[in-house]
This record gives sequence, structure tokens and C-alpha cells, in this order.
Amino acid sequence: MDNKKILLYGLVISLIIGVLAPFLACPNPDGLESTAEKIINEKTLHHNLQQIGLEEEGTVVPSPMPDYSIEGMGKVGEVIAMIVGIIIILAVAYGITVAIAKKN
Amino acid sequence: MHIPDGFMPLWECGVFWLISLAFIAMSLKWASKELDEKKVPLFAALAAGIFAIQAMNMPIPWGTSGHMVGGALTAIIFDSPWAGVLMLTLVLIVQGVFFADGGLLVMGANIFNMGIIGSFVGYYVFKALKNIGTPIAAFVAGWASLFLSAIVCAIEMAIAGTFPLDKGLYYMGLYHACIGIIEGAITAIVIAYLSNVKPDLIGAKSTVNE
Repeated sequence: MDNKKILLYGLVISLIIGVLAPFLACPNPDGLESTAEKIINEKTLHHNLQQIGLEEEGTVVPSPMPDYSIEGMGKVGEVIAMIVGIIIILAVAYGITVAIAKKN
Repeated sequence: MHIPDGFMPLWECGVFWLISLAFIAMSLKWASKELDEKKVPLFAALAAGIFAIQAMNMPIPWGTSGHMVGGALTAIIFDSPWAGVLMLTLVLIVQGVFFADGGLLVMGANIFNMGIIGSFVGYYVFKALKNIGTPIAAFVAGWASLFLSAIVCAIEMAIAGTFPLDKGLYYMGLYHACIGIIEGAITAIVIAYLSNVKPDLIGAKSTVNE
């Protein structure tokens, strides 16, 4: 299998998973969130949030597509967010590694 | 297992950023020495695949879900834990910056848990068990990498005062022992497939020498 094929197969498989993910992914909270719901120390959380100036836990810099969605676009937005994300990570991983990989 | 901002005080975020930056620097050094242009497409394709599959949460009991992380898988394919560190660093940066999945302040801790602990545990468990059989070794490596990442995360949360230590270890351990089965199964399937179709990809150092 040559390099272009590996890249193409990777992209196609990723896109298939990515387009299906918004429909198939389980909406339940993940292991860390579930744990937090049960046992989090609200006082500590509140203190930390005050320190960084947030209303609720999340991230200090707003993201363009929070929670893999685009505001007001529903499932279509989620599919687009996944496709955009897959292209970004492919470009970032390719760009950075090709820049530092040893040249043949 | 992506920690959001707010779960950790700033000083702890700083400590884990410092530790992770040292490991990231080493992973870049690994890439400049061991990653050649022939392997770049595989690295990029795997990055896209891991990003996609991380969005596919699967149900586990107790109304909880989980997804694979991919550090063990990457480390086994590239025959180095540093490959996993670099892979998860890039995936976590894209997730945090563009999708608010994991906070930016705690990103150092997320890289430490999923990238560093996940990759090193996965890699060395696989190496230790390889002689028993590739799929079994890959399964246990995937399971252990996820489980120990969660245990480390629970300890960080206890240091932060966010979770009590005993209950944190119990719930994080219990949930991620289940989620680890997803990690182990996908790791085993991909490694078994690749070692049949492209045996030169797994543990490439011993066979590829052109």
C-alpha cells in the first residue's frame, strides 16, 4: 500500500465514522462527567471557577464549534463539525510531522 | 476523560503543563529521529481516525458512556510510546481549541493522562505480553492504558480537592474498567488486522531496513 492510499483510506474511514458519530454516539455523560455528577466538591469547583472567571466548567477561551456542534444547525451542524475536525486534525498531524520528520 | 477548566486549581494546571511540555519536547525529538517521510501519511491517517472515533461514545452501564483514546494503539503501531504522546497531544489540542472538549488550562493534565500515561502503559504492557499473542497483548495494553489514565486522573482530582480520593478512585476505576474494554477491543482489532495485512508496520524497526 503506498502512502497516498494510506492517507486516502484513513480519510475515508474517518469520514464514515465522523458522519455516523452524531447519530450513533451515546448521549450519556462519560466516565469523568458521571463521576463528577456523583461526588464533585461544589465548593472547590466554585472556587476554581471564580479564580479563572468562568460561570461553569468548560474552557477559558470560547471555541468555534463547542461540543462538536454549530449553533442552531442541529444534526447537520454536528456532521459538518466532525468533517471540519477530521480535515483539521489530518492537516495538523500531516503538516507538523512532515515538517520535523527526517528527510529520506 | 477530558477534564474541563474549573476541575483543577491554576497551580495544578501549571504543574501538569510543565511536565507535559517536557514530554512533548521529547516526542518531537523522537519524531525528528525516527519518523521518516514514509511514515508521515500513516501518522496523519491514524490521527484522523482517532479523532473520529473519540467522538463515538458507546454506552456502558450506570447511564455512562465512553470512547477510545488511542495512545496505546499509536505507540504499538509506531513501536514507541513517544509516538502516542505526540499523537494525543495533537488530537487534544485540536479538540480543546476548536471543540471545547477539555479545557485549555487543564490541557497539560489531559495530555499527561491520556497521552503520556496512556501511551507508556499501553506500550510496555504490549511489549511484556507480546509473546502470549499479539491480539491478547494489544487488548490488555489498551485496557490497562485507559484504566491507569483514569486512576491517575482520579488522583489529580483528589489533589485538587475536586473529588474525594476513595470515591474518586472507586467511580473513575469502575467506569473506566468498562470503557477500557472498548479501548482494548478496538486496539486488538486494529493491531491484529495490521499485523496480518502489513506486518512490517508493527514493530517496524526489526523488519524495515531499506
